[in-house]
Amino acid sequence: MNSTSRKLPNALARTLTAIATAGCLFSTAASAEPLEIGVLLPSPIADVGWSHALNEGIAAVKEKYGDDVNVSTIENIQEGPDADRIMNKMIGDGQQFLLLGSFGYMNAGLKLAQRNPDRTFLHASGYKTAENFSPFTAKYYEGAYLMGMAAAELTKTKKLGVVSAFAIPELISTINGFTLGARSVDPEVTVDVIWINSWFDPAKAQDSAKALLAGGADVLFSNAQDTPSVVTVGEEAGAYVFNLNSSMKEYAPTKYLGVVKTDWAPFFVASVDAHLAGSFEGKNEWLGMNDNVVVVEDWSSDISADMKARIDAMHEEIASGARHVYDGPLMNQEGEEVIPSGERLEDGAILGMDWHVEGVNSPLPK
Amino acid sequence: MSTLEFFLAGTFSAATIFLLAALGELVAEKSGVLNLSVEGMMAVSAAIGFLVTYETGNHLLGFAVAGVAGVLISLVFALTTITFLANQVASGLAVGILGLGLSALIGRDYESLTIPSTDGIQIPVLSEIPLIGPVLFQQNLVVYMTFLLAIIIGYTLKHTRLGLAIRSTGENPHAAQALGFPVFLIRYGCVAFGGLLAGFAGAYASTIYTPLWADGMIAGRGWIAVALVVFGTWKTGRIAFGALLFGMVSLGELIAQSMGASIPSQLLSSLPYIVTIVVLAIISTDKARMRLHSPFSLGETFDGTEGR
Repeated sequence: MNSTSRKLPNALARTLTAIATAGCLFSTAASAEPLEIGVLLPSPIADVGWSHALNEGIAAVKEKYGDDVNVSTIENIQEGPDADRIMNKMIGDGQQFLLLGSFGYMNAGLKLAQRNPDRTFLHASGYKTAENFSPFTAKYYEGAYLMGMAAAELTKTKKLGVVSAFAIPELISTINGFTLGARSVDPEVTVDVIWINSWFDPAKAQDSAKALLAGGADVLFSNAQDTPSVVTVGEEAGAYVFNLNSSMKEYAPTKYLGVVKTDWAPFFVASVDAHLAGSFEGKNEWLGMNDNVVVVEDWSSDISADMKARIDAMHEEIASGARHVYDGPLMNQEGEEVIPSGERLEDGAILGMDWHVEGVNSPLPK
Repeated sequence: MSTLEFFLAGTFSAATIFLLAALGELVAEKSGVLNLSVEGMMAVSAAIGFLVTYETGNHLLGFAVAGVAGVLISLVFALTTITFLANQVASGLAVGILGLGLSALIGRDYESLTIPSTDGIQIPVLSEIPLIGPVLFQQNLVVYMTFLLAIIIGYTLKHTRLGLAIRSTGENPHAAQALGFPVFLIRYGCVAFGGLLAGFAGAYASTIYTPLWADGMIAGRGWIAVALVVFGTWKTGRIAFGALLFGMVSLGELIAQSMGASIPSQLLSSLPYIVTIVVLAIISTDKARMRLHSPFSLGETFDGTEGR
């Protein structure tokens, strides 16, 4: 620089220095660039539902880090080649922290994670892990157990109905938790299940809810349905109803039993913290009440004070780990003992659950 | 309401979506135009119909605007295939996919919102009859109108001059033109009518049958409507029967499950489609009869020149 400036007129030299300084400034700014976070969601972000809950979790990250993170969200992307292409583009765009919001993003996401060891991946509902790839799931069954207790108190027909998406372990274990909770209060209660084999068919979900009501159920559980389809049927028909992920109380102001909500904020914030600190570790994140991820709220005021106290006590016991939803004795639908008294079902058996507990009337599709 | 009542009453309301869309497609196909964009037209109309009904609280207005939306989309299809002579299958698919995307865009801010459901009409005295009352005499107005429409369309196609003009256009546009029928106009009209009914079907789906909007809520029902036209061998009576059968199968699946039948639910979910394939296979084995029923020039472009 010195040798050059001697040969050039002063003015030009000054300009060059200015440019150089500006360049320096620019590069300092670059080193403190915000963390690029990419979010891929399977359905549109509505006021309620799965994608909404994930988006709320990301909002908490934004709130904590402000301008230090830059979130770009792509919603309503079907699992498959389209999702793979977008994930690749996210990597190409330099996004460092990826949140993949659906089970079917797993294999393509994992491949990208293995190819890009410096990036961090969170993946919803999956089971495969890598050093920089953590699947996460909620222990919905913990909250469903409490809902079952409330439902058992409020039902008159002693029949509860579940409209359910796909017969996968996550949903089966939630129905079983619900049934166990209900029968812990009233052993005569039974549960009917309709599998609609779709995450997303509101018309079919409503027809199923009506079929369950016609069959005598008077409490409905909307298991993994992203729209308020089942919830509105409950309100109209005068049947109590609850759902997962985010509150739909406004759709059933008088008949809302409550919500088994997922609050992903603590987990997402902790993961971003870990990524920034360089201490992120890919592992199976299975989160429940204890992690403040599964939150049960918006309880119906029709639940008696006595029952509410019992539910609160049980909530305490489950959250503290003193009690587990799948503590023995556990019987299956055929009436055979699966786990004897004093023992507890292993985590692996819950994560891969393919049987119904006693009290569920409907056979499991195999 | 007992399970049986729900099953039979629900069959009619479920069948209405299929029947409305299928009747529209029937008229278009009778004029020789195969419009595969039914699913997309229904989706756009469902979104717009919901939006209008949600904002104004007026179901009638929602239906009207949804019908107009269906017509507009069908005219895009008509323009490409009838005026610009593009391939009908490819254009229909393209317009259909466009419609699905468009519906997501239109409904973006209305995702998962609901509107209050409407009550059926209570026909005095008759609706009090046990079983038959709830099944036949407490349905929504649209259900009655749709079945009435099926009769009117069936009669028009078979017994009127307009029906003759449509049929001859579909059988042989060259001959129809030679006879002095305005072939282009008839085809435009029939495709637009198909769009109108697909629009009504969409509005019925999002404002009456399932009063909420969710992207993807048509969930293949438009395709079933297209299949129904073939299923019913282009005859209104058989199409209405097919629509009821499909309504019954789609509800029966859910009821079988709720009653604890140990048939795999995946199999039950695919029943409507299996039925379609089986019936198509049976109908198609008799080639002569198939050709007799199917409009002869179906799917072929017509450029207005003489002879072939």
